[in-house]
Amino acid sequence: MKITYIHFLGTLMLAAIGLTSCEKVIDVDIKESASQLVIEGTVVDDADMQTIKLSRSVSYTEDNTYPPVTGAQVVVTDSQGNEHDFVERIPGVYISSFKGQPNITYTMRVKVNGNDYTAQSTMPRPVELDSLSVTEITFGGEDRKVVAVHYKDPADEVNQYRFVMWVNGTQTRRVYANNDRLTNGNDVKDQLFYSSDDDNEEINDGDVVEVEMQSIDEPLYKYWVTLADQSQNGPGGGVTPGNPPTNVSNGALGYFSAHVSRKKTITIRGNGQ
Amino acid sequence: MQKRHFYYLTLIISLLFALPVSAQKRYTVSGTVRDAQTGETLIGATVRIQNASAQSAAATNSYGFYSLTNTAGEYTFTITYTGYQQVTQTVNLTADTKLNIDLKSGSELAEVVVRATDRKNENVRSPQMGLDKLNMKDLDNIPVIFGEKDVLKTIQLLPGVKSGGEGTTGFFVRGGAADQNLILLDEATVYNSSHLLGFFSTFNADAIKDVSLYKGGMPSQYGGRLSSVLDVVMQDGNNKEFGMQGGIGLIASRLKAEGPIVKDRGSFMISARRTYIDLLLQASPDSSVKGNTLNFYDINAKANYKFDDKNTLYVSGYFGRDNIGIKDLFANQWGNTTATIRLNHVFNSRLFSNTSFIFNKYNYSISLLDDDNNANVTSLIRDFNLKEDLQYFSDKHTIRFGFQGTHHRIAPSEITTDGNSSFNPLSIENRYGLEMAAYVSDDWKLTDKFNLLYGLRLSSFSLLGPGTFNTYDADGDVASATKYGSGEFVKTYFNLEPRLSLSYSLNEENSVKAAYNRNTQNIHILTNASTSSPTDQYVMSSNNIQPEIADQVAIGYFKNAKDNTFEFSVETYYKWLQNQIEYKNGAQLIANANVESELLYGSGRAYGLELYTKKTKGRLTGWISYTLSKTERKFDGLNDGNYFPARQDRTHDVALVGIYNLSKRWSVSANYIYSTGNAVTYPAGKYNVGGLTTYYYTQRNANRMPHTERLDLSATLKAKETKRFRSSWSFSLYNALNRKNPYAIQFRDKKDDPNRTEAVQIALFGIIPSVTWNFSF
Repeated sequence: MKITYIHFLGTLMLAAIGLTSCEKVIDVDIKESASQLVIEGTVVDDADMQTIKLSRSVSYTEDNTYPPVTGAQVVVTDSQGNEHDFVERIPGVYISSFKGQPNITYTMRVKVNGNDYTAQSTMPRPVELDSLSVTEITFGGEDRKVVAVHYKDPADEVNQYRFVMWVNGTQTRRVYANNDRLTNGNDVKDQLFYSSDDDNEEINDGDVVEVEMQSIDEPLYKYWVTLADQSQNGPGGGVTPGNPPTNVSNGALGYFSAHVSRKKTITIRGNGQ
Repeated sequence: MQKRHFYYLTLIISLLFALPVSAQKRYTVSGTVRDAQTGETLIGATVRIQNASAQSAAATNSYGFYSLTNTAGEYTFTITYTGYQQVTQTVNLTADTKLNIDLKSGSELAEVVVRATDRKNENVRSPQMGLDKLNMKDLDNIPVIFGEKDVLKTIQLLPGVKSGGEGTTGFFVRGGAADQNLILLDEATVYNSSHLLGFFSTFNADAIKDVSLYKGGMPSQYGGRLSSVLDVVMQDGNNKEFGMQGGIGLIASRLKAEGPIVKDRGSFMISARRTYIDLLLQASPDSSVKGNTLNFYDINAKANYKFDDKNTLYVSGYFGRDNIGIKDLFANQWGNTTATIRLNHVFNSRLFSNTSFIFNKYNYSISLLDDDNNANVTSLIRDFNLKEDLQYFSDKHTIRFGFQGTHHRIAPSEITTDGNSSFNPLSIENRYGLEMAAYVSDDWKLTDKFNLLYGLRLSSFSLLGPGTFNTYDADGDVASATKYGSGEFVKTYFNLEPRLSLSYSLNEENSVKAAYNRNTQNIHILTNASTSSPTDQYVMSSNNIQPEIADQVAIGYFKNAKDNTFEFSVETYYKWLQNQIEYKNGAQLIANANVESELLYGSGRAYGLELYTKKTKGRLTGWISYTLSKTERKFDGLNDGNYFPARQDRTHDVALVGIYNLSKRWSVSANYIYSTGNAVTYPAGKYNVGGLTTYYYTQRNANRMPHTERLDLSATLKAKETKRFRSSWSFSLYNALNRKNPYAIQFRDKKDDPNRTEAVQIALFGIIPSVTWNFSF
């Protein structure tokens, strides 16, 4: 929020005297980095097929093309003693047919080039996504439409959530994570703010917005909230960025998440709704 | 009871220092030095006996008081002060003598010579080092953003002081953090010295008399922060006649009134300003800008009354508020309040006492205005402070001693809601602390050439109940919880802080100096950002947080040339920092009762070289400052436990300030700054998770933002004066070269080629012209 806030303030002050701030693309001198194993594994309750992706990170200066890691052994076991073998369907994408269950702890084991990587995640109890709504606000000198999710937070447990939003099928470039530290037991309205600084298009009339609400466990919340802090703050503006705390062992990047997934879609109409 | 104490103290000190030289009768001359026109006391004016075999001199203290002792005889006294005409007076010393002096401002002299006389070689002779004094008259001429002259932005042009960033008033001194500066306004701590997130400072230059910045060698009466002391003193107000002063600027206006309460005995000063950016926003044709709030105002007020030659009472206060709001979305308010009551008492011609009772508070509130998400968050830090400070003047010693006691209350967060909100009401326990200190220092003229300023400060900090105090395990989970009752001591820390500065004069115009000081700090801000934020979280030392400690050594060479026209200094320092605080990635700072579980503790080191050349006389005045420095931190759990550059680690910092008097009516000025970019963390690699490009970081702060470079210009035109009315126009160009200086760097996928990543530099301000009209009558 911080840089957005100060930037916004600067913009307002300049607007008052008829000027604007500016941005430009610069060359940065960044050394190459060693490639790391990246594991992105999910077990969800709303699909019969679970996916674990293995790839490698690349240097900052390279294209956003991440080499798949093939030939790995991937297994997930659950706290009831079931074992699910994953098969590599396409290079780097490993798949297994089973449905995730709430309150079950899943353990992922990945073996690549003789190295073992493990992670554990517990699927929380489901929380339903009740509805989506749209409000129009004025922010940073522009009228913007903001989509909000509505859900009832259970009072008797600690809950964490992650939201993913797509506008006309394109995922917005922002990480949303929240917990019930300040909202426990309430009917919650969570507004999914984003700014065009993040290289997103604004939401306009006629757009179709889809939101996924994930109920996640505590370590995954830490993971996403750290990523969220980063994506809103460039170096020099806000917090010093760091790598999110992964739940995968042995120095791999990424995460393994067993979560409840709920989705809803809304079509934006004129006059704010 | 207390009074008797003082008599004993006086007696003891007299025995210590007065008796050994009682062979020959000695007498004391004491008094107050004031501005002849306004009656303002002058701080740091020099009173010197010229014809004594061993020359002796004294400087006036913060209340304009001085005391000089010598053997009986006839002496010529010269009294000098920057920007004022020298006064010479002959005194036949046959008894203790009262000598009050009025100095005429140098600007009444003909032509354009601004400084007729100066405190000659004072900078060379004094053992004090690491001290910068701002000349408030220079402030009128130095160009600043939006044309609002500003104390904090001007000190950032001095060596060893680094700006917090474009347009901000946050500053870093000798590698310290922004919260390690003790900022005092009439002795009251100002916790948040910025308006509008740092684009302006809380100090309204109209109301300020004197500004001193201690970067090192802090005298022992100051304590509580590691890096620097910025001591700001408000004007007392004209005690001769009533006057008004003000200015109308592009985005703010100021008005000050001052005058006698009882002529020559008491005066008042009240000064206020307000910005009207939001009024401009209302007038904007862009409908979306309307309805937003963006303003601040502040008021400085002071009054004093002299009961008799021995007793003077001062009452002063400050109140400031910032308001930022976005229509129907949120409103944010914050500000400082301070009040100071002081009583000066002159026990005798050699013993001066000041007793202060001080209140200060910083608070903020954030209101979320959406019905479904409404909440009001408030937070405050509040101090009550009692100080007793005594100065004893003898021939070769000025002894200063006293005590200070401060009671702190921090209300971290209180959330209230209305009706059907997503949020729950929440209140985080208040925290209470008691800070005590006793100190003594001696400014000792050992020989003609050798001066020594040494002292000791004993400080204590106690965390007080009531409340529940937790300890945490390695994972940050609560390991134990202990309840304490009201006023119970939870944890107490004692620290001894030695202070030492010495100077050796090679000759009249050259000296070398050295200093060592230890400082401790018990109030900490949890921030990772360079600029101060209205929602900064304050924490006190506790069962989890140890007091921060800094040790600094410095040596320097000081030289004056051409009859004080040029002042030159080079200082070098090394600083060790202990118990530094950072918070963990993803930490939740607001409304978190267990915020202390989110912290990391480490150490730091900073070292540097500062060069400073100042031209103080002639049509062209100004200075050049250069700083070469390094500042690093080390934390377990960050950067593999290795030292890494602090964000404000900038290798080179250059500032040039020039003021040129073209004619009686026109003066022009320019300043130029260059600084290495901040140390930042750029991504080393990238990968994809959650459908987004995600960056991989290796070494902390191993990269550099592009450098910052800026030229500011200004011109001041004095309008034709009438007998009563004076006015001037100030024109300024901030960032005259329209250079896009980096404020932040963001990384993102390229818009036209999402398969590539680009770095985007955000610049806040290009060229900003402004005009201000100032008047006084």
